[in-house]
Amino acid sequence: MIEFKNVSKIYETGTEAVHDATFTIDKGEFAFLVGTSGSGKSTLIKLILKEEEATKGNIIINSKDITFLKAKRIPYLRRSMGVVFQDFRLLPDKTVYENVAFAMYIVKATPKHIRRNVPMVLSLVGLSNKARCYPNELSGGEQQRVALARALVNNPSMIIADEPTGNLDPETAWEIMNLLNEINARGTTVVMATHAKDIVNKMKKRVIQIDKGIIVRDDKKGGY
Amino acid sequence: MRYNGFSYLIGEGFSNIFKNKKSTIISIMTMICTMFLFGIFFAIGVNVNSVLEQVQLKQGMQVFIWDETTEEQKQKLETEIKALDGVNTVVFKTKQEALDTFKTMMKDKEKFLEAYEGENNIFPASFVVTLTNLEKNTEVQDEIRRIGAKIATEGRNQEVDLQIEESTQHDSIIKEITNSDVVIPTLIKIVKGIRITIGVIFIVLLIISITIISNTIKLTVHARRKEISIMKYVGATNGFIRWPFIIEGIIIGVIAAVITLLIVGLLYDFVIQTVESSEVLQKINITLLGFTEIAKTISIVYAVLGIGIGIIGSTMSMKKYLEV
Ligand SMILES: Nc1ncnc2c1ncn2[C@@H]1O[C@H](COP(=O)(O)OP(=O)(O)OP(=O)(O)O)[C@@H](O)[C@H]1O
Ligand SMILES: [Mg+2]
Repeated sequence: MIEFKNVSKIYETGTEAVHDATFTIDKGEFAFLVGTSGSGKSTLIKLILKEEEATKGNIIINSKDITFLKAKRIPYLRRSMGVVFQDFRLLPDKTVYENVAFAMYIVKATPKHIRRNVPMVLSLVGLSNKARCYPNELSGGEQQRVALARALVNNPSMIIADEPTGNLDPETAWEIMNLLNEINARGTTVVMATHAKDIVNKMKKRVIQIDKGIIVRDDKKGGY
Repeated sequence: MRYNGFSYLIGEGFSNIFKNKKSTIISIMTMICTMFLFGIFFAIGVNVNSVLEQVQLKQGMQVFIWDETTEEQKQKLETEIKALDGVNTVVFKTKQEALDTFKTMMKDKEKFLEAYEGENNIFPASFVVTLTNLEKNTEVQDEIRRIGAKIATEGRNQEVDLQIEESTQHDSIIKEITNSDVVIPTLIKIVKGIRITIGVIFIVLLIISITIISNTIKLTVHARRKEISIMKYVGATNGFIRWPFIIEGIIIGVIAAVITLLIVGLLYDFVIQTVESSEVLQKINITLLGFTEIAKTISIVYAVLGIGIGIIGSTMSMKKYLEV
C-alpha cells in the first residue's frame, strides 16, 4: 500500500529531514509514526501526499511509483487518501455539511450520491445534529471529527493523519482515536504521526520511530 | 449527460461574491472607474472620428471647365469622375450658379456685376468633387486631369474634318482644378494624430485596468489561500479551484459593465445635447453621434472588457497559489 525505498529528503535549506528511509505499510494496517519534535514525521507525511518531492529513493503508493508523478496527477493521488491535520483545516464560511460535501464535489460526485453519503459519514462520526453549524460554533474535538468525516466521505483506501490529537484534551483525543480504530477495523489503512505517548502505548499498534530523519525502530505491536 | 459539477462551480462563484462583499464592492468600484475612463475616451474617440469624417466629406476640389466644352463631354467627364476610387459626390455648378455665388459674396457691388449677366458671364462652369478619403486627393486630381485631356483629344479625332476655331483648341476640357492645399494635408495630419493618441490612451487604460483588477483579485485570492490549500489537500484539480474565481471575475466584470453603461449613457446624452447646441457646431453644420448610435459598440466593448479583465485578472492572480 505504502512503500518507501531508500528515501531521503533534503530541503533547499540543506536540512536532511529524512535519511534513507525504507519501510512498507500494508493494506489494512494501523501505523504510528513517532519521534521527537523536528525528527521528520511531518516530512514523511508530506512525501506520501506528494506535497514535497523526495530527493532520493522511490515511493510507491497503491502499487504505483509516485516518485516522478506529474503535477497534474497529484490531485488524483490525493483522492485515494483521506488527510487529517492537527489544525483541522475546515473552510470557515461553510457549514459542517458543506465542508464534507465539498470533498465530494471535488471528485464530481452526483448530487444524489452526495445527499446520501454526507449524512451517512456525519452519523458515523456522531455529528448528525451539528450539520448546519459553522466550524467556529464547534469544539476542537467536533471540528476534528468533521475533518475526519471529510477525509472518509470519498471512501479512501487510507487515512493519513499528522498529529490529529495534537490540539485536543486527552478525553477528546480518545474519541478521535476510537473513531480511527473503528475506521481501521473496517479495512482502511491508517498512518498517524503523533507525540501522544499514552495513546501509542494503549493502542498496541505498529510503531515506526524516526530520529533525526533516520528510522530507528519498527515494532509490529509497540509502545512509544 | 455526465455530471461534471459545473453547476456547483457556478454556485460557488456566486456565493463567493456575496460572502466577500467588501472585496467584491472594491473590485466593482475599481472596475467602474477604469471602465468609466475608458467610456469617456471611447465616446470622445468615436465622436472626433465622426466629426473628422464629416469634415473630410465636405472637403474636395473644384474642377473648372472651358466654356467651349460640349454637353456630351461634360456628361462623360461627370460619369468618369464619379467612377473614380475615393470620390464621394460630384455636383455640377453652371456658369449662372457661379455668378450667383460671386454675387452673394460681393453683396454691395451687385449692381456692378449686372454687366456680367447672360452672354457676358465670365465665370466658368465647374464640377464640385468631394472625397471619401482625403489621402486620395492628389491621386484623384491627377486622374481627373488625365480624363480631361483624354476627352478633349477624343473629340478632336472624331471631328477631324470639322472646322474648329483656333480659340477652342485646348489640350484638355479642364481649365483648372482648385482645392485648399493648406487645409487638406493639415486635416490628414490631425486625423492621424488623433487616432494614434486615442489608440495609445486605450491601450494604457486597458493595461491599467487589468493590473488593478488582477491586484484586487490577488488580494481576494490571498485572503482565501487557506481555502485553496485545503482544496488541494482534498484532491481538487487546479481547474476546479480556478473556476469559481473566474466566474466571480466574470460576474464582477459584467456588473461593473452594466453600471458603467448606465452612467455613461445618462451622462453622454446630457453632454452631447449641451455641446450640439453650441454656436460653433451649429455654424459648421456638424452633428455628433447620439447614444443609441454608439450604444451597441460600447456595450460590446464593455462586455468584452468586463469578461476579459475578469478572466485574465483572476487567472493571473491565481497562479502563485496553485503550486501546493
Ligand atoms: N519546508 C521546509 N524547509 C526547510 N526545512 C524544513 C521544512 N520543513 C521542515 N523542515 C525541517 O526538517 C526537519 C524535520 O521537520 P518535520 O516538520 O518533518 O518534523 P516533525 O517530526 O514533524 O516535528 P514536529 O513533531 O515538531 O511536528 C526539521 O529540522 C525542520 O526544521
Ligand atoms: Mg510535524
